[in-house]
Amino acid sequence: MPILSKSKIKDVLNQLSQNAELFVPLARGDESGFYSWNSYQEGSDRLMLDALNVLLPPKSIVFPQTERMYSFTGNGTTVEIKETFESPQPRIIFGLRACDAAAIACFDDVFLTMGFVDSFYQARRDNTTIVAHACYQPGANCFCEAMGVDPTEPVNADVIIRDTGDSYIWESKTDKGEKLSAALGALLENKEAKSPQLQPFKQQANYEGVAEKLKGMFEDPMWEELASTCQTCGICTYVCPSCYCFDIQVKSWGDEGYRFRCYDSCMYSEYTLMAGGHNPRSNEQERFRNRFLHKLQFFSERYGKPLCTGCGRCIVACPVGINIVQIINQVKEADTSVRA
Amino acid sequence: MNDITLKIREIATRLLQNGQVDIFMGWEKGQEEYTTRPFFARRVEDVEKLIFNEYSIHNLSNDLLKYRDGQEKIGIVVKGCDSRGIVRLLQDGQIKRQRLYIVGVACPGMKDPLQAVKDNSGFFPATTSGELARKCNDCIEPNPVIYDELIGDKQTPRVGQERFKLVKDIENMSADQRYEFFEDVFSRCIRCYACRQVCVACNCRTCIFDEMKPQWVGRETSISDNFMYHLVRASHMAGRCIECGECERVCPVNIPLMLINQKLIKDVNKFFGPYEAGMVYIEGAKPPLSSYQENDPDNFL
Amino acid sequence: MSEHKCNCENPLVPGVVEVIDIKDETPDVKSFFVRSIGGGVPFDVMPGQLGMVSLLPVGEGMYSVSWQEEQEYLHFAIKRVGLMTNELHRIEVGHQLGVRGPYGNGFPVEECKGKDMLFIAGGIGLAPLRSFIKYCFKHRQDYGKIQIIYGSRSYADLCFKDELFEKWPQEKDTEVYITIDNPEEGWDGHVGFVPAYLEEINPAAAGKIAVVCGPPVMIKFVLQSLEKMGYTDEQVISTLEMRMKCGIGKCGRCNVGSQYICLDGPVFNLAQLKQLPPEW
Ligand SMILES: Cc1cc2nc3c(=O)[nH]c(=O)nc-3n(C[C@H](O)[C@H](O)[C@H](O)COP(=O)(O)OP(=O)(O)OC[C@H]3O[C@@H](n4cnc5c(N)ncnc54)[C@H](O)[C@@H]3O)c2cc1C
Ligand code: SF4
Ligand code: SF4
Ligand code: SF4
Ligand code: SF4
Ligand code: SF4
Ligand code: FES
Repeated sequence: MPILSKSKIKDVLNQLSQNAELFVPLARGDESGFYSWNSYQEGSDRLMLDALNVLLPPKSIVFPQTERMYSFTGNGTTVEIKETFESPQPRIIFGLRACDAAAIACFDDVFLTMGFVDSFYQARRDNTTIVAHACYQPGANCFCEAMGVDPTEPVNADVIIRDTGDSYIWESKTDKGEKLSAALGALLENKEAKSPQLQPFKQQANYEGVAEKLKGMFEDPMWEELASTCQTCGICTYVCPSCYCFDIQVKSWGDEGYRFRCYDSCMYSEYTLMAGGHNPRSNEQERFRNRFLHKLQFFSERYGKPLCTGCGRCIVACPVGINIVQIINQVKEADTSVRA
Repeated sequence: MNDITLKIREIATRLLQNGQVDIFMGWEKGQEEYTTRPFFARRVEDVEKLIFNEYSIHNLSNDLLKYRDGQEKIGIVVKGCDSRGIVRLLQDGQIKRQRLYIVGVACPGMKDPLQAVKDNSGFFPATTSGELARKCNDCIEPNPVIYDELIGDKQTPRVGQERFKLVKDIENMSADQRYEFFEDVFSRCIRCYACRQVCVACNCRTCIFDEMKPQWVGRETSISDNFMYHLVRASHMAGRCIECGECERVCPVNIPLMLINQKLIKDVNKFFGPYEAGMVYIEGAKPPLSSYQENDPDNFL
Repeated sequence: MSEHKCNCENPLVPGVVEVIDIKDETPDVKSFFVRSIGGGVPFDVMPGQLGMVSLLPVGEGMYSVSWQEEQEYLHFAIKRVGLMTNELHRIEVGHQLGVRGPYGNGFPVEECKGKDMLFIAGGIGLAPLRSFIKYCFKHRQDYGKIQIIYGSRSYADLCFKDELFEKWPQEKDTEVYITIDNPEEGWDGHVGFVPAYLEEINPAAAGKIAVVCGPPVMIKFVLQSLEKMGYTDEQVISTLEMRMKCGIGKCGRCNVGSQYICLDGPVFNLAQLKQLPPEW
């Protein structure tokens, strides 16, 4: 089977970045996220393929935080739509984990199905090749398996790499993957190797039946209690690989300008604020509840799977320690029969 | 610290029992030994969850803003920095002193649970945690400056000659170096506004950054909009930041916000005379930069 | 000038239209009649469907298409409430706008065939209903008796006055009831809120479909009245309003439970509404 020796990893990354923009997990200063391999700085950056994952998810590669949509000119009476910025540039994401691959599958559901196809997303998605990195050692906050994600078999992968210690098994899954294999040529060796064993999870979430059960818990007092310490800061939604909400805004100067979209969050009050001041989710409790219900119930009702892939990022980044695993288990165990 | 926990529970029980407060704000244990988090007790039965330990870092005074329009009487545990947050709120007229029962704890210095979670997450290169939180190394006042009841022995400030050291380092850079430094720092900002949300001094009902008519600062994550955000935020902090360090602590991309805040504190000191925000509360008195006088004198206090 | 019409490949990019007429309806509502550059409508709509109108560079907003006149024009009735609508009220005939659509499910015009129709509206809420009302008149033989109950704060605030007072009462088997909130000089019609007037008129439920649109409080009380009067949940149709940005079920904000109002709505019957979490 094709094997990629860790000693050749930089050659491989150099090779792959010849024909596409290549994104890899890096620790950069105090940050960690997916960055372009071209921007890699020996010394100050650290390749994070041996780490569990990185804090900023790879979603920005298919769905950037700020994305220009189209430019226009207009002098008051006439208007012209000039250019539509659908990005055809080839990209490769190297080393993303199953949880993040599953989150991109959620994006595919949102942006590519249900009546309309989002052309901006589609252009990026179609031109992205995914080299996923199978997980065998879940981290302190991982619970992907409980959310229906197999950490060893990432979905949506064009290639899966499996860490055997000093090398990776290179398993190409699609035509796009075959192309990468071909491009790497002799950098891949042919050897026998054994896949590692999946180690047990430390976080135990029990999501079974939770989506169903939440239907009857909209008015449950637990939301008020849980939300009481939430800062509605939105960090959880920004670091989440599967949160996809966006705002559409405009930038203009003189007769010209462009519309862009940028991440938004249901944790913010102006997200649902309507002209005249009416706001259906004006307090933090309603917004907090919306986030968890969207993740654990509403998305399931609409797309048949939860909008949480168990990556654990929100647990890591929440300044007040709000923990989605604990909330899932609390719902699971809640005795709703005593509450009217 | 166990003594402090017991003392806090005792006070909370008393206050809740005799109806002196409706809510008692403190901390509870999280899932891991390092994940202490805020907890608001509403019933006597809740009190046993309250704890105080080396991870009780969150500045709870900001949470009072959630109740500013209500009538609830609130008990709250504060450390030195948190108590300055209360002074901030009182000075800004955000909450009435009579609604509060303040339990002060002389602070031995805290560790950051968020940092500990990050260190154990596998999302960053392995680092050495277990140190005092950065903000605690810069602490000028570990003892509560306002309280109804005080727990623990008086602590000495931890910061010495080295206060503003980082600020001075930056000031000593050339203009180009400095620009590069801030460009690098601000380009990382993802504009989540978490730094604003957790800030007790950011207590405007309608924040300028949410204003759409007109929109003062664009929502684009571009270097110019990011610079704009940080300049405006910083200028709104001048003379108001009480140095609790929460903004920097929560920032998901570790932007050194305290560096910027401290630069302003240093400048306020330099241009308006010695002043530390939120140190004393005198009913009716106005803090500098909230008051205006024709021909402002050089010396303020 | 651009020949750019509906950009059908990219649903988030508007086509350019020209404002061919503007009419003052009330002190804060104006009608805008738009057609594509070079003629024709940018897209065809069914009653109750929506268009995202953009005034460049100011902003975009979602509006019910108040009427599509064949391939001639789309008619929007727009109330001045905020940033973009303020600017929109300043433009003149000949101004060009962006528009994308059609969005939303629209009214169940087929299912209502053969039924008596009861339309209940308040304020700008008549704008969406009007497309259905006019559709019924256009296909008059498909629908039974038509009753329209409409109210607003004052006489001046009534939209579409020529239709309300002149045209619609002339239509076959049609009754138009109008009320204003407070008495005023020169008004000898009904005074009072819409829900009370509805109960006074008390249109029998049998064989009828009630379509309701207006401010949230009005909707709430009208639904209660209808229930009292014996209308079943399937006989009552309403439209929901949430803040919108994309209009195509992607940007997330207009959700009520698992439903996106821009895509799955804005029209729901009461039975469906009761399935949703009470966030509307
Ligand atoms: C399904 C539907 C049908 C509507 N039909 C009509 C109509 O026929 N006539 C009419 O006058 N108004 C209608 N509205 C309301 C109209 O969309 C808003 O009043 C308008 O967008 C306000 O824009 P603004 O820029 O002036 O206000 P601002 O408050 O400045 O708006 C800020 C942003 O929020 C959005 N927004 C604010 N309020 C609303 C709202 N209530 N609904 C949706 N988006 C909002 C705006 O589009 C804009 O992007 C409808 C709304 C919905 C949801
Ligand atoms: S959540 Fe699962 S897939 Fe993601 S890093 Fe952890 S073990 Fe791997
Ligand atoms: S990160 Fe935590 S505090 Fe911030 S909005 Fe999310 S749950 Fe609330
Ligand atoms: S909700 Fe939390 S654990 Fe789930 S995918 Fe998002 S960040 Fe990861
Ligand atoms: S949780 Fe909130 S921000 Fe995230 S996708 Fe759902 S609605 Fe959007
Ligand atoms: S918390 Fe950090 S990333 Fe978020 S807005 Fe503040 S500085 Fe930017
Ligand atoms: S307006 Fe974007 S989802 Fe409805």
